[in-house]
Amino acid sequence: MQFIILFTVLVSTYLMIIAKRTPALIRSFRYQSFCLFMATFIIALHEHGLVLYIIAALLFILKVVFIPHLLYRIIKKIKASEDLGLFINPQLSLLWALGFTYLSWVFSARLIGPDNEVKVIMLSVAFFMVLTGVFLMIFRMTAFAQIIGLLVMENGIFLLASMVSGGMPFFVEIAIFFDVFVSVLIMGSFVYKINKFFTHIDVNKLSRLRG
Amino acid sequence: MEIFFILGIPLLLAMVSALISRQKFLGLLNCFGYLVVLFLSAILLRQVVLSGSTISFLGFICLDTLSVFFIFVIAVVVFASALYSVGYIKKDIEKGVISEKKARIYYLLFNLFCCSMFFVPAVNNLGMLWVAIEMTTLISAFLVGFYNKKESVEAAWKYIIICSVGIIFALLGTILFSYAFSVTGLSKSLNWSDIIPVAHILDKNILKIAFIFILVGYGTKAGLAPMHTWLPDAHSQAVAPISALLSGVLLKTAIYAILRFGIIVIKGVGFAYFAHLMILLGVISLILSSGFILVQKDFKRLLAYSSIEHIGIIAIGFGLGTPLACAGALLHVFNHAVTKSFMFFGAGNIVSIYRKHNMHAIRGVIKVLPFTGIMMLVGIFALTGFPPFSVFISEMAIIIAAFAKGEYLIAAVLLVFLAVIFGAFIHHFAKMLFGNLPKGMTRLGEPLSGKLAFLFLGILFCLSGALFVLTKGNWIWVAQKLFLA
Repeated sequence: MQFIILFTVLVSTYLMIIAKRTPALIRSFRYQSFCLFMATFIIALHEHGLVLYIIAALLFILKVVFIPHLLYRIIKKIKASEDLGLFINPQLSLLWALGFTYLSWVFSARLIGPDNEVKVIMLSVAFFMVLTGVFLMIFRMTAFAQIIGLLVMENGIFLLASMVSGGMPFFVEIAIFFDVFVSVLIMGSFVYKINKFFTHIDVNKLSRLRG
Repeated sequence: MEIFFILGIPLLLAMVSALISRQKFLGLLNCFGYLVVLFLSAILLRQVVLSGSTISFLGFICLDTLSVFFIFVIAVVVFASALYSVGYIKKDIEKGVISEKKARIYYLLFNLFCCSMFFVPAVNNLGMLWVAIEMTTLISAFLVGFYNKKESVEAAWKYIIICSVGIIFALLGTILFSYAFSVTGLSKSLNWSDIIPVAHILDKNILKIAFIFILVGYGTKAGLAPMHTWLPDAHSQAVAPISALLSGVLLKTAIYAILRFGIIVIKGVGFAYFAHLMILLGVISLILSSGFILVQKDFKRLLAYSSIEHIGIIAIGFGLGTPLACAGALLHVFNHAVTKSFMFFGAGNIVSIYRKHNMHAIRGVIKVLPFTGIMMLVGIFALTGFPPFSVFISEMAIIIAAFAKGEYLIAAVLLVFLAVIFGAFIHHFAKMLFGNLPKGMTRLGEPLSGKLAFLFLGILFCLSGALFVLTKGNWIWVAQKLFLA
């Protein structure tokens, strides 16, 4: 079961890499977060921990419902182009993603040792998500892609924390959720501001400050 | 007990500023509040250093010498900044740059920002440390973009994005640390005080990789090159008192986080690994910033690059790792915080009169603003490490330690680039400060609160060096206990 979930996480991340338009990116983010929710929920069922149920519920509310909804609303309101602005076309991006997958697998195998296969795969999916997040932030032009890239990195780290080290202390986990919530709100408000002052959200063109 | 007041007063002030609309009263209340915080932190520092013990509450807050020292540094700069804000915000309102309502928002964010910074050294849990540092980013992003201009919105966006990515790597590192701890089978805690006694049995490979993530992550926030790119933008666009806070203490909180993990790594992996990484990043920061300082036109950016330089020197100091170098680096944390906020206050006064950042277009500051001009002149010598001032003493301590350890190359790099930066500063500022009174400008007076802030910081950076020389035995003892025990 865990492998199926990890596989769907991987697929949703690949979908993000080849997405050309912002709504598609947000939709894939929603799938990915839903998979993470399922994973946490299954662990909670096994271990019967109230804490894990709470974390799963928070994950669902925040990353599956609230954040995608907020981002869709911002897109509608500012009426910006839905184009993501690709520096690297989908085919080439896919090649990059394959490279990332291999790299993170080699890295995790080295880090943990080849005998613990389940953990190696989990770790490599998590690292792959982090790398993909960075990739999205660098090679896509709009402010939305940067927000989602950040959230993908955060998801990767959530996976890493919950599966590799058995979750973080409860209040730290809650604090991190709160933090993600606040940071998305703040970044959203800055997207509005950028759109107001520059009449576009192409962060590649923000180049007034140099040197 | 004092620590609860130190954390509580900024929060209380934030609530008050949300409720009360008279900004003049708010400013004065802020000054009073942070004066109390300053006194309390001095008492706390004295208490912890003299007794040599750690104070902890329920495992959530844990105060040792390192944390109370950083709390004290934050309290000093925050108090000066609150003092300076009174006059600065009043002038901005009179000129119609911001509205009364916006001034209230300013005080609200200012207090929240300070509160989150005080949390960083106080918490024991490494996860909460991460949350506190991320909170500082999120709150200060609004203060960077406060003036709602194209440039400031751009700077705020870059700041929030680059720092968030950096800090996510730091979270990754934190999780790897907790993984290394959890495989020992002891417990699931992330408390620093739980990890440190067993640091020597943790998996070395995982610690090494985790520390690289930590260094990249918190290094971004600390402004270590090559992850420094947000820093000049944010520092040059923020409101002047906030620039002082960003440069003076926000960068130091990230250095604090690196040191906390560094101490675990020193115990677990050995000193050489930590030292090499810190010295590498420190030297890159020093060299890169000196280049940018030489060719800079915008003088708030000049000061920002100078922050990168000083962070580099601090990293080199900790990387050298002899007791004298660590003591010098700790003193440098304090000296840079005090001197750089002093300079940013001066920069704020100049920019608000001249309305431009370009050094070639600003002439005759001493004629227009006599007090600020003279203070800036003193500040330049203090900042670039001229003998009577305390920055000289701390830089000297680090360089002497480098020679004593036999690291001649590092000492030479430090000396050469400090000389280059000194020359560049004198070259840039001499033209700006001296010169004739510009046409259409008259000699202007300055608010009392601004002058008081200058004098407060000025006295500190004149005296702290002498204090260090007189009590250097104690400093070295403290540094030895902190890092090498």
